[in-house]
Amino acid sequence: MKHDLIVLTPTGRLDAAGARPLEAELKAHIAAGEVNILIDFEDTPYISSDGLRALLAAQKQAKKRGGALKLCCLNHRLSEIFEMSGFDKVFEIYASREQAERSFAPLGG
Amino acid sequence: MRKADKPSGTNLKFSLTVNSRLERLSEIANFIELAARESGLNEDQIYDVQMAVDEACANVIEHAYHGRTDGTIDIVCEKRDHEFVVTIRDFGERFNPKKVARPQIGVPLSRRNIGGLGLFFMHKMMDKVQFDFAAGSGNRLTMVKKIKK
Repeated sequence: MKHDLIVLTPTGRLDAAGARPLEAELKAHIAAGEVNILIDFEDTPYISSDGLRALLAAQKQAKKRGGALKLCCLNHRLSEIFEMSGFDKVFEIYASREQAERSFAPLGG
Repeated sequence: MRKADKPSGTNLKFSLTVNSRLERLSEIANFIELAARESGLNEDQIYDVQMAVDEACANVIEHAYHGRTDGTIDIVCEKRDHEFVVTIRDFGERFNPKKVARPQIGVPLSRRNIGGLGLFFMHKMMDKVQFDFAAGSGNRLTMVKKIKK
């Protein structure tokens, strides 16, 4: 149970309003011990500083519990935002969902 | 959206007034997209301005109005020759950008504090960012994006 991989695919803009439900979902998973989480950004055109803050908070909590938050499928503007802010150093970021899922494989999913 | 006037054919003006709710941010983004596109900005420039305005308005709602939903945000976009100028006014608490901590871009995750990131993006995305405050007329933020072909 503890090692199951949770995959979230937020849809729409992760602005200050859109970040809140994602933040709540991440908190609930981590509180339940589901600390290996992949976020697929396929359907996310935009992320604001509030979205980044929500991800950072979740990453800190997940790492504390021996897990990790990883990301995949960022469009070029999202990639740029992560690089510009140094957030690309905070997360493992994969081009495809398949690669990202494989990176969790040693945990046994 | 109201297209207020078109004085010379090259200069344009667009305005939007919304209340201080986070749910209005997507409507603001749509307004910026229309105004910027009509002013001749390309897709990347439109995205830049949308992000800067999104961060600015989220700051207004969260910090000037402290989450109150009955505040007013006035947004005016103007195309002035080769510049796209966005002016955002609110009547909440005075904003002092000097009091905002700079984000620690190179600092490891465990020691990072997460303030000032919105302001950081506004400066990255725009060519000019200027804050003014006057008693009675509130906060005024002016941001300029040069229109490049």
